Amino acid sequence: MDTSIWKPILYLIGFMAFAGLNAAYLGWCERKGAGRIQRRTGPMEVGFQGLLQPLADGLKLMSKQLIVPKGVDGILFRVAPILAMIPAMTSFAVLPLSGNIQARAMELSVLLLFALASIAMMAVLLGGWASGNKYSLIAAARSVSQNLAYEIPMLITVITIVMVSDSMSLRDIAVAQEGGFWHWNLFRLDLSIFMPISFIIFFICSIAETNRAPFDMAEAESELIAGHMTEYGSMGFGLFMMGEYLNMVVGACLITILFLGGWSSPFGLLPSLGLLWFLLKIYVILFTVIWIRWTFPRTQVYKLLNLSWKILIPFSLVNLLVTAAFLKIF
Amino acid sequence: MAPLDATVLTNIIYVTIFLIGALLFGFGPIIVVKLLSPTSHTRNIAGKTESFIECGMDSIGSAWIRFGIIYYLYALIFLVFDVDVLFLFPVAVAYNSPEFIIRDFVEVLIFVGILSLAIVYAWMKGVFTWEQKKYSHLP
Repeated sequence: MDTSIWKPILYLIGFMAFAGLNAAYLGWCERKGAGRIQRRTGPMEVGFQGLLQPLADGLKLMSKQLIVPKGVDGILFRVAPILAMIPAMTSFAVLPLSGNIQARAMELSVLLLFALASIAMMAVLLGGWASGNKYSLIAAARSVSQNLAYEIPMLITVITIVMVSDSMSLRDIAVAQEGGFWHWNLFRLDLSIFMPISFIIFFICSIAETNRAPFDMAEAESELIAGHMTEYGSMGFGLFMMGEYLNMVVGACLITILFLGGWSSPFGLLPSLGLLWFLLKIYVILFTVIWIRWTFPRTQVYKLLNLSWKILIPFSLVNLLVTAAFLKIF
Repeated sequence: MAPLDATVLTNIIYVTIFLIGALLFGFGPIIVVKLLSPTSHTRNIAGKTESFIECGMDSIGSAWIRFGIIYYLYALIFLVFDVDVLFLFPVAVAYNSPEFIIRDFVEVLIFVGILSLAIVYAWMKGVFTWEQKKYSHLP
């Protein structure tokens, strides 16, 4: 079975279905959450509690005309939305969803994921630049410098995790945390006293990397219309949105695997239901991300960049050194 | 070049299959849109359908102009860090071996110390202070 060509294809189809449904219903969750937080009801009309709203949105997006404005860079403008989709989808090749649901247990999966994450940034850059619109250009420059700034503390934090678990394979990292929540990296104060700080740094960075509020400088509606997506209509816009939601899911999966023990159950209960625990954890994280989006105001671009360069990077470097010292002393 | 290991080859095949799948996942909706969306010309009174979103006004000048240098400075410091962080990955994987206790730590300390000088340098040079730059235009 291991060498069969059907295994990756079946996994691919499964993950595609998961990705499509997820993108649709995360959108619904986001609008519902926004509504409830702002004392509204959110979508209510289409279906029970608006549950069919994603379907209606999808149909509408699909039946809209694809307009390419005059004066854009033709090729790059068309490439960008597809490029937003590719890295997130490819990441699923190595993400372990549970003990036995993983397309390919690759040794260098952490490295591959971060290589793909830096391609996702190119989509925003190309989309913004090729649009030929000044708002989009500003959005592209902002979002690239933001993603660059937050990639570094993220990588350094990942290095501390790789250090304590001796492996770059997501599977090994998750397996090492099995057996109750006190084995999760987040609570392993015996490995490094700064573990919770690593978690907070990683969480902030993953919100920033996926361009979510309060770090959504790339699509600050009140300043830049829709940022890099301004000129896109129809499914061009839809692909950008789907890419964003998929990136959120990949980010949540990474947080879960690196810090929250992957598919291990918190109290040793029902360890056979790995997938369920995993999904529960990622949806708790996704809910937190949505909650943060609608609760905090947007930051300013220079404060945002300096938060990373002046606070997060020095802290993560110190964190790395402390972890290194801890590992050698104990 | 060494012959490819079977595991590595399988890894590459898996990633390639997922890459192709992702391409299809990206192109699929576009093709559906091409099939479903109206193909006749748009109702277009003022001839502004294909213009940029500027609330109906013609945009003044191109967007592809010289742009704030500050973003490039940030990108340059990023390059310094990114290359160094890449070097840290193999170190991190091999770090836990019990052979050299003090030497490993001292080496990481020196490396990170030199790495953090980059940020100190940029801080001193004022990359992180955003002020409106004043340019004196000669008559």
